Amino acid sequence: MQMRREWTQAERQVLSVWGYLSFLVGAVAMAMLAPGSRVFVVLGLVVSFCVLFCTGSLRLLRHARFWLLIALALFLSPFFIGEKDVTLWGLRLSRQGFWAGLWMTGRALSIGLAFNGFARRVSVAELATLLEGVGLKGLGFALGVAFNALPIIQEAAGDAYTAMRLRGGFRRQRFVALKKLLVTIVASSLRRGEEIVDAAEARAFDPARAQGRLARPTRADLLLAFALLCCNLAILLPPY
Amino acid sequence: MTKLTTRDLTTIAIFGAIWGALEITLGSYLHVIFPPLTTPLVGTGTIMTGIGMIIALMGYLFVPKTGAVLMIGVVTAILKALSIGGVKLSPMLAIIIECLLAEAGLVLARKPSRWGFVLAGALAVLWTFFHKFFGSYVFLGRAITEVYLGMLKQGSQALGIDVSLALVIIAAFLLIRIAVGAVAGWLAWELGGAVRGRLAR
Repeated sequence: MQMRREWTQAERQVLSVWGYLSFLVGAVAMAMLAPGSRVFVVLGLVVSFCVLFCTGSLRLLRHARFWLLIALALFLSPFFIGEKDVTLWGLRLSRQGFWAGLWMTGRALSIGLAFNGFARRVSVAELATLLEGVGLKGLGFALGVAFNALPIIQEAAGDAYTAMRLRGGFRRQRFVALKKLLVTIVASSLRRGEEIVDAAEARAFDPARAQGRLARPTRADLLLAFALLCCNLAILLPPY
Repeated sequence: MTKLTTRDLTTIAIFGAIWGALEITLGSYLHVIFPPLTTPLVGTGTIMTGIGMIIALMGYLFVPKTGAVLMIGVVTAILKALSIGGVKLSPMLAIIIECLLAEAGLVLARKPSRWGFVLAGALAVLWTFFHKFFGSYVFLGRAITEVYLGMLKQGSQALGIDVSLALVIIAAFLLIRIAVGAVAGWLAWELGGAVRGRLAR
């Protein structure tokens, strides 16, 4: 447990948010550019990076919905892409569609894992600081409020729905009832928002002031960015 | 981007959270119940963008400043990233692009108006048509012509007309999206006014 914590701390020190961002951009670019079977080289690189630097990101593979999407791309492609030139168990399938589906699967897996790795390692606060750096001032505050507003909205929606149902609100004119429900949810969420505004202003919060400082790129970040650039160029090289 | 006050940011956060909550719950379920291939003309993406635009444009009524809709979209996209399973980069990009297009519509309209909302909504939902090409090329590596032919085939089956009437099929795709977006804009104006009335009581 102790070793695991130390290793996690070491991961944090080696790469900064810039490193993980370059990994995401580089991986997406490689997955897009990789011709045919080379997409599985990209997948290998992404999985290796995730194992080394993004602990826990491979948990995405445990989600049934993720595999459902992958299975859809893999199994439906022979039916919808290309000329049907093979018959298997009485089904007319396309060989071109099968290969296209396989490469699509590789691409989807690479991009999905790269994004999950990025999301695992870069905190919402770091992401907000990064976006504030490109001009979206106050985004960090807005995100914090949005996260805290989710249970408020859930509560408001639950209360409004129950109250309307108890009064027979959805028995007829369902569209009108739905409109009233939405208005009630928004209005009560905005009323609760007033309390947040008061609390923030009482603490002298100023959206114009930078809320956090973005880390400078480390040497490892630059090295990783260079390595990813080389990998992107190598992927584009024609085969022997 | 116009300077935003604490109240503006809180309002943006609340509208972003409402859209985000809908994306995480309703959006995720609809995507599983209606996979893209089963709903060629009006997919889950179109419906969710329409609903999202109602929320985002209602938000603009309370924060009528340039960049407010984009901020709502960014908050929603980040909340979407935290939802369960699936490849989330494509819907996140779609949300941000749609909000940029809605912003463009609002800039063209100059000041908040019903027709400005209709234009913004139509522009935003129109992206769902082009996102199919963009998403398939970027995330799945499918050629644009391949997607186009597949779309024509699905469209011809759904409309019950011949594939050779490509222009009619594409026009149907575009018109449906424009109509959904326009209705979303119209409803946003109506509902925003109703919320204002409720808050003023």
